[in-house]
Amino acid sequence: MPILELTTLTKHFGGVHAVDELDLAVEEGEIFGLIGPNGSGKSTTVNLICGVVSVTAGRVAFEGRDITGSAPHRVLAAGVARTFQNIRLFGHLTVWQNLWVAQNSVEDRRSENFAKRWFFGSGATRDAVDQQLEFAGLAGKRNELAANLAFGEQRRLELARALATKPRLLLLDEPAAGMNLEEVHALDGRLRALQQAGMTIVLVEHVMELVMGVTDRIAVLNFGRKIAEGLPAAIQEDPAVQQAYLGGGVETAHA
Amino acid sequence: MDDIYLITILSNIGMISFIALSAYLLLVVGEISFGQQAFFAVSAYGSGIATAMWGWPIWLGLLWGALVAGAAALVVAIPTVRLRGLYFSVATLAFAEMVRLIFEIFTYQVEIDGELVGPDGSDGFRDIRAIYDSNVSAFEYMLIIYGLLAVVLIGFLILERSRLGAIFRMIGEDPMLTEMQGLNVTKYKILAVVMAGIVAGIGGALYAHLATYVEPKIFNVMLGVHALAYGLIGGLGTAFGPLIGVAIDIGLLESIRAISGYRMIVFGGLVAVLLIVRPRGLLDEAAMHWLRGRWRGLIRAEN
Repeated sequence: MPILELTTLTKHFGGVHAVDELDLAVEEGEIFGLIGPNGSGKSTTVNLICGVVSVTAGRVAFEGRDITGSAPHRVLAAGVARTFQNIRLFGHLTVWQNLWVAQNSVEDRRSENFAKRWFFGSGATRDAVDQQLEFAGLAGKRNELAANLAFGEQRRLELARALATKPRLLLLDEPAAGMNLEEVHALDGRLRALQQAGMTIVLVEHVMELVMGVTDRIAVLNFGRKIAEGLPAAIQEDPAVQQAYLGGGVETAHA
Repeated sequence: MDDIYLITILSNIGMISFIALSAYLLLVVGEISFGQQAFFAVSAYGSGIATAMWGWPIWLGLLWGALVAGAAALVVAIPTVRLRGLYFSVATLAFAEMVRLIFEIFTYQVEIDGELVGPDGSDGFRDIRAIYDSNVSAFEYMLIIYGLLAVVLIGFLILERSRLGAIFRMIGEDPMLTEMQGLNVTKYKILAVVMAGIVAGIGGALYAHLATYVEPKIFNVMLGVHALAYGLIGGLGTAFGPLIGVAIDIGLLESIRAISGYRMIVFGGLVAVLLIVRPRGLLDEAAMHWLRGRWRGLIRAEN
């Protein structure tokens, strides 16, 4: 059974078919690439899965359970976390608080202890946050406001925050945007480490060095429809994909 | 005489601080309420009725007023917290005006010692004499006000360091992202509105007993607008922010006679300038972060 299954998933914004009868099955433990030209519906797909925008038609199933139209906090509770194309952090909170609340929301939500639930969380949660700061290489910045971090640090914090909720499926919306090559390689390593640890990842990305290297399978969207799906090497050779990216005017230009 | 004047000013600063903290709490969760004066009013009437008409002791009257205000806030919160921005502001304004107009026609009087006591529509509610009947001096009452203010303020400072406080600030910054952290934003917002209602209610109950007389027109929208402005002047980074705003307005502008005639001009100008220069007030989040960093540095240097 696939961990994530989209069945004829459709989203219309007025007359625009942002996502059009999309079928997709992501297997447990794989890194699945979702690529396509700008405006092809990749981010909308992520938003549909997370319950941020309402579904026009179709179905989203996570671990066999129907989560179509669930509120975002329920999708997260089910085990799906995400990052954003434009970095979204709580800039007025410290780095430590950003992670602490994300962690808390899972660990202590069901705690019977009033003080734990509403006020200071448990010691175990605090230790876990410190560990995650270490993993993200942000231990030295724990008391800094998130708004004051450098760009790369903000990306790392966003990923750490998504991981703090202990998801089984991670949706990454263009995590390499704006990164230099060195940072892309570091990200590549991090994603492989997460896969080793058993995480399933859906990677929406334009940076082909990352996508082609790290993913197990890729689906290509264009105008909200899936135009190709397969192994990275096959996708690179696919004529429909090349046409979607480079445009259809190549032959006419020769004629 | 001078003493009484000073005590009156300080008491006023204390009482208004509650409604300022109330509006501040909602500013922290990202909502601008033009209606906090309604909870102040509901509690002023509620606690006055409890002590003057039902003969309850004053402390129970204060508690009752705060609870009634909290209950009123819950009633307002459930339909309005899903509204965003301007829509929430308009809804709170409409509610507050509705409350004021209800008190304009609300008459509920009983005869005590041959005299009619109780709210009498637009003529107001006289003889809320509990503190004079129990021989509490103006100075002692001021201590009660500041005692309660200290309790509320400590509550705010604990909140600031707690998970709940962090969640409130998250909602204020990005409610959708907060929702995606697995948190039910609507629930937390309802909680914030109720807490703000209770805090405003404490101020209203204290006010009714100090003034001994309340009438609907005191609770007009200007009271709510001032409450909002205090936080925006003093800063949204700490609960001390709105208190600074109150101190500037009442302590300086209203109380120094030479300039009190120009109060609204200076006050309005101050708000306008600050909204441009420091949109989140003097002690905003960044300023507080810097101060806390300096504080930690000092402590480290001591050791």
